[in-house]
Amino acid sequence: MRNTVTIGIAALLLASATVANAQGQPQQQQQNVPPQAPVTAPVAPELGLVDLGVRATSTTGDKARYERYSDLKDGAVSQILFGKKTETFSFAARAYNVGYRDQSYVADYNSGRIKVIGLFDSTPLNYFYQAATPWVQAGTSPTATFTLDPSARLAVQSKTPGIVGIPTSAAQLNTPSIYRGLATQFEMQQLRTVGGGGLTYNATPDMNIHLTFASTKKSGTMPWAGAFAFNNANELPLPLDNRSNDVSVGAEWATQKGMVRVGWTGSWFDNKIHDLVWDNPIRATDFSNGLAITNPPCQSGVAMGPYDCSGYSNGNGPAQGRMSMPPDSSMNVVSATGLYKMPAHTSVNATLSFSSMKQNDALIPWTINPVIASPTVYSVFHDLAHLERNTAKAEVRGVNALVNFNSRPNRWVSLNMRYRYNNHDNRTPAFEAVEYVRFDAVPEETGGETEAFDITRKTLDVNATFNIAPYTALRLGYGNDSFDRTGRSFSDMTDDIFRVSIDTMRSQYVTLRGIYTHTIRKGSGFSEDTIVHGGGQPNLRFYDEADSKRNRGTVLVILTPMSGVDLTTSFAKGEDVYNGEGHEFGLLSNDNSSINVGLNIAPKETVAFGVNFGRDKFQSMQKSRNANPLPDVQFNDPARDWTLDNDETVNSFDIYLDLSRAIKNTDISLNYDFSDSDNAFIHGGSRISSLIAAGTFLALPDVTNKWRRVSADVKYFFQPKVGIGLGWWYEKLDVSDFNTIDLTPGTPRIDYLGEISTGYGNRPYKGNTGFVRLLYRF
Amino acid sequence: MRSIVMRAGLAIAGLVAVVGLIGTAHPTAARPQAAKAGAPQQSVAANYVGEETCLTCHEGQAYKGTAHALKSNAKTPAAMHGCESCHGGGKDHVEGGGDKAKIVNPKTLDASAASDTCTSCHNRSAHALWDGSQHDQRKVGCLSCHSVHSSKGEKQLNATNEAQICASCHKNITNKQHRFNHMPVREDKLQCSSCHNVHGSTNVKLLKAGTTVDESCTSCHQEKRGPYLWEHAPVADSCTTCHDPHGSNNDRMLVAKQPYLCQRCHVTSRHPPTVYEGFVLKNSTNANKIFGKACVSCHQQIHGSNAPSGKAFLR
Repeated sequence: MRNTVTIGIAALLLASATVANAQGQPQQQQQNVPPQAPVTAPVAPELGLVDLGVRATSTTGDKARYERYSDLKDGAVSQILFGKKTETFSFAARAYNVGYRDQSYVADYNSGRIKVIGLFDSTPLNYFYQAATPWVQAGTSPTATFTLDPSARLAVQSKTPGIVGIPTSAAQLNTPSIYRGLATQFEMQQLRTVGGGGLTYNATPDMNIHLTFASTKKSGTMPWAGAFAFNNANELPLPLDNRSNDVSVGAEWATQKGMVRVGWTGSWFDNKIHDLVWDNPIRATDFSNGLAITNPPCQSGVAMGPYDCSGYSNGNGPAQGRMSMPPDSSMNVVSATGLYKMPAHTSVNATLSFSSMKQNDALIPWTINPVIASPTVYSVFHDLAHLERNTAKAEVRGVNALVNFNSRPNRWVSLNMRYRYNNHDNRTPAFEAVEYVRFDAVPEETGGETEAFDITRKTLDVNATFNIAPYTALRLGYGNDSFDRTGRSFSDMTDDIFRVSIDTMRSQYVTLRGIYTHTIRKGSGFSEDTIVHGGGQPNLRFYDEADSKRNRGTVLVILTPMSGVDLTTSFAKGEDVYNGEGHEFGLLSNDNSSINVGLNIAPKETVAFGVNFGRDKFQSMQKSRNANPLPDVQFNDPARDWTLDNDETVNSFDIYLDLSRAIKNTDISLNYDFSDSDNAFIHGGSRISSLIAAGTFLALPDVTNKWRRVSADVKYFFQPKVGIGLGWWYEKLDVSDFNTIDLTPGTPRIDYLGEISTGYGNRPYKGNTGFVRLLYRF
Repeated sequence: MRSIVMRAGLAIAGLVAVVGLIGTAHPTAARPQAAKAGAPQQSVAANYVGEETCLTCHEGQAYKGTAHALKSNAKTPAAMHGCESCHGGGKDHVEGGGDKAKIVNPKTLDASAASDTCTSCHNRSAHALWDGSQHDQRKVGCLSCHSVHSSKGEKQLNATNEAQICASCHKNITNKQHRFNHMPVREDKLQCSSCHNVHGSTNVKLLKAGTTVDESCTSCHQEKRGPYLWEHAPVADSCTTCHDPHGSNNDRMLVAKQPYLCQRCHVTSRHPPTVYEGFVLKNSTNANKIFGKACVSCHQQIHGSNAPSGKAFLR
C-alpha cells in the first residue's frame, strides 16, 4: 500500500513537471496556411523485370539439409517483377520461383484511398531425403494409422533366435534389425503454404479501415516419436494436414493530436489428424498373462496380471499405441488503442485487449490396449472405466493493458513511464487422472489432476534520458516486473531491473552506444512440496523462476572516418548466476559473450564492400544427482552428484562486394558467409569419478559444425533492356554430432539401441547450384 | 532488499520530476537544442516557395517514385507542400542564399526531434506507438534506418534488406541466421519484421503479434497454441525458456542440447538425472535418451498433451 502511494506521488510529480513545462513554453501553433497548389511530381517510369533461366544443382551428402527451406531442383527458374508508380496510384507485383515448392507471389496496389495487398507463399521444410521406415501408413484422417509387418512383429515377440527387433545391447548391434530389411525409403519434408491479403480503406483523411485475411496450410510429413517402453522408442513420418485461418478487422482514426484504434482478430486452427495409432515393433499381440488382478496391484514377488507391472520398462506392453495430436483451437482478441499528444512533446498511449483461446477436442480413451481397457482391470482401477469428461473444455482468457507516458518537456530531459498488465487466466477445468495408463502398457495410480497454469505479469518501467551534451543522451532506468503464477514452485517472482545507457553521435566520426542492465530476481511463496511431489531433489530450483542475478552489457562503437566508410565494433556480455537460498541442483550459471568487428566501405553508389568477424561464447553449469527415489539412500547421497559444463564457441565471418554498374552495364554481387561451432559437454563430480573407476564412463566428443556459403551473381545488359545473368551458389557443411547414428558415414542407421527411427539426423553436405538467365527490363 | 530497490527507482523518478520542474523556471527554449540550428519559424503561408524552387538547387533530392510522391493520398508530401511538408517553409532559406540555418534538415536534428517530423504523419497503424518505444528511447530515430531521398531497399530502408539494417546494431542476433538450425531468414522467407515491430509494440521485445512471447510464436506455430489438457509449465511461461528464436546450433533451435536442457530442471530420480554419456550411448538402450530426438523420443508431446493419459507427455 505504501509503495502504491509513493508511486502515485512520483507520477504526480512527473505529470506536474510536464504540465509546468508545457505551460512555460509558447504553444507550437499549427498555422492555418492556405495550401498552395502542390508542385506536380514527375511521373515515375514503369518498371518491370523478367528474369528467366535454367538452374542446375549438384549435391553430395545430405541434400535435404542443403535445400532446407528451398527447392533447388534442376529446371527453369523465374522471377518476374512489375511495378508502376504514378501520381495517383502505385502497383507492384512479384513472382518468384514459379512452380517450385518455395514459390511466392505478392501484389500490392495503392491508390491513396485504397491499399490492397495479396500474397501466396510456399515454404518447404526438407528434413531428410533418405529417410526410411518399416511402418506403412494405413490411414490418415482423423486417425493416422501406421502398421508393421505382422510376421516380423511375431518373430520379434516370440524371441525367434537370430531375430533382432530393437537392439538392446552392443552385441545385438552386430545383427541388423528385421525392420531394417523391411524399411522403405522416402523423402521426409513438409510444405507450408500461406495465402492471404489485406485491405486498407481511407474512409477519410483521418480514418482508416483495415481488413486482413490469411489461410495457412501445412502438409507433408515430419519426424514424430512415440514409445512403448524405456527400451522401445519409435520415430514415425507423421502426416501433416492442418490449416489455420486468421482474420482481423480494425478501424483507426488519427489526427495530429492523437489516434484511436479498435480491432478484432480471430484465428482458427483445424487439424484433420486427430490422433495417431501405430504398431508396436516388439509386440504382435497385447501382453497378457491371463491372471486375475490383485488388489493392491503390482506387489513385488507376486505374479499378477493381466498386464506386466514392469511393462513400461521391459517392453511387455500393447500391440498398438495411441496418442493425441495437436487439437483444433480458436483464438479471439478484441482490442482498443488510444494515443493523445499534448504540448511539450508529451504523449500518452494506452492499449487494452481481451483474448479468449479455446480448445474442445474429443478426448481419446485412457488406452487403446484392450487388456487394460477391461473389466478385470477396472475392478481395481475404477477411474479407468470412464472419462471424467469426453472433451477437453480447455479455455484461457487473457487481458493485456498497457499505458505509456512519454515526454520531452525541454531539451535536457526525456521521460518515459510504462505500465503493463498481462493476465493469462487458464480456466480449463481440472481433469482427474490419478489413475492413468503409462505407455498403453501399465495402469498407474501415480497421476494426478491436470494443472492449469495462470500467469499474471505486471511491469512498471521508468526511464529518464538526459541530453548531457549535444547529440549525447544518458538514460537511467528502473523496471519492476512481477509475476504471479499458479502451479510453480514460487508463487510470485519479481525482477528489479536497473539500467543505464549512453548514446552519443556528437562527433560525425564516432557513434557510441552502450547499455548495462542489472536484474535481481527474487521469488516468494516457495513450495518445496511442488518439487518433492514430482520426485525432485528438494534443493532443485527451476531456472526460469529461481532467484538469480543477471548482468548484461553491450557496447557498440561505429567509426566513420570519412563518408562511405564505417568501422563497427560491438561487444556484449551477459551472465546469470543462480544463487538463491537452497539452490543446489539445476542450472547454476549461464554466461555468454559476443564480439563483432566489421568494416563497410561504399565510396560511391556503385561500389559497396564489407567484411565482418564475430565470435560468440556460451557457457553453462548445471548440477544433478543420479539416484533412485526415497527410501533408497542414494537419494540423499552427495557422492552421486554430477555436474555438466557446457561450452560453445561460435565464429562468424562474412564478406561481400557489390558492384552496381561500376563496370559498364554490369552488376556484380559476391558474398561469402561462414559460421562454425564447437560445443563441448564436460561431466564432472563424484558420480563421474565413480563411473570412471567402474569403467562405465566415456566422455562425449564435442559437437562441431562448420558452414560456408559462397554466392556470386553477375548481370550484364548488352542492350538497355536485355541482359544475361549468371549465378552460382556453393555451400558446404561439415558436422559431427553424436546424436546422429550412421551405418557408414552418411548412410543412416534406423535400428539403434532402444529405438527404430527414420534416420533423420545432422549430416554434412556440399552443394552447388548454378543459374543462367535472360533478363528483360520493360 | 526489494523495498530498497523500489525506493531507489522511485527516487530516480522523483529526481527527474524535480529536474523537470526546475527546467520550467527557464522556459526560454522552445525546441530541443539541436533543433535550434535549423528551425525556422513557420510564421505565414508566404513562407512556402514551392517544390520547383527547391529542386532548382536540390535536383537530386526529389522523392519521385516513392510513396511520398503519391498525390492521391492526401497525407503525402506530394499532396501537401512537397519538400516543405517536412523541411518547413523555404522562403527564408532561399532569400538567405541557401542559409542552412533557415531550413529544417532532419539529419542535423536530435534523433527524437527528427522523428517528430516523420511521426507528424506516420502516427498510426504500425507507427502509432513510436513515442517512448525502445528505439526512440535509445535515440535510434527514423533516419537511422530509413532515407526519404536515397533509400536502397523496400520501405525506404538505408540498406537492401532488413537484416543488414538491423545488423548495424544487432549483429550478434543477425549472425544467428547462419546457425545450423535457423528460421528461414537467409532464405528470404522471413525477415526481422515478420516477428518484430521495430516502431513500437504492445508486446514485449517489440514483438508485433499477441501480448506474450507465446502468443507471438503461436501466431504461426498454431499447433502449439493449445490450450491443452496437460500443460508443460515452462511452455506456458515462455517459448524462449527452451528455444532461441533467432537460431541455434542445437536441434530444433533449443538453447541447449538434449538431454542436458531437460536435465536443467528434471533433477528427480531414476532416469531423468542419469548420466548420459558415451558409455550409455554405445552400450545401453538408454542411448535413446541421447541420440535422435533424445528425451522427446518418448516425451513427444512436450508442448502439451490432450490425451487423458498424457501426464508425462508420453501420449
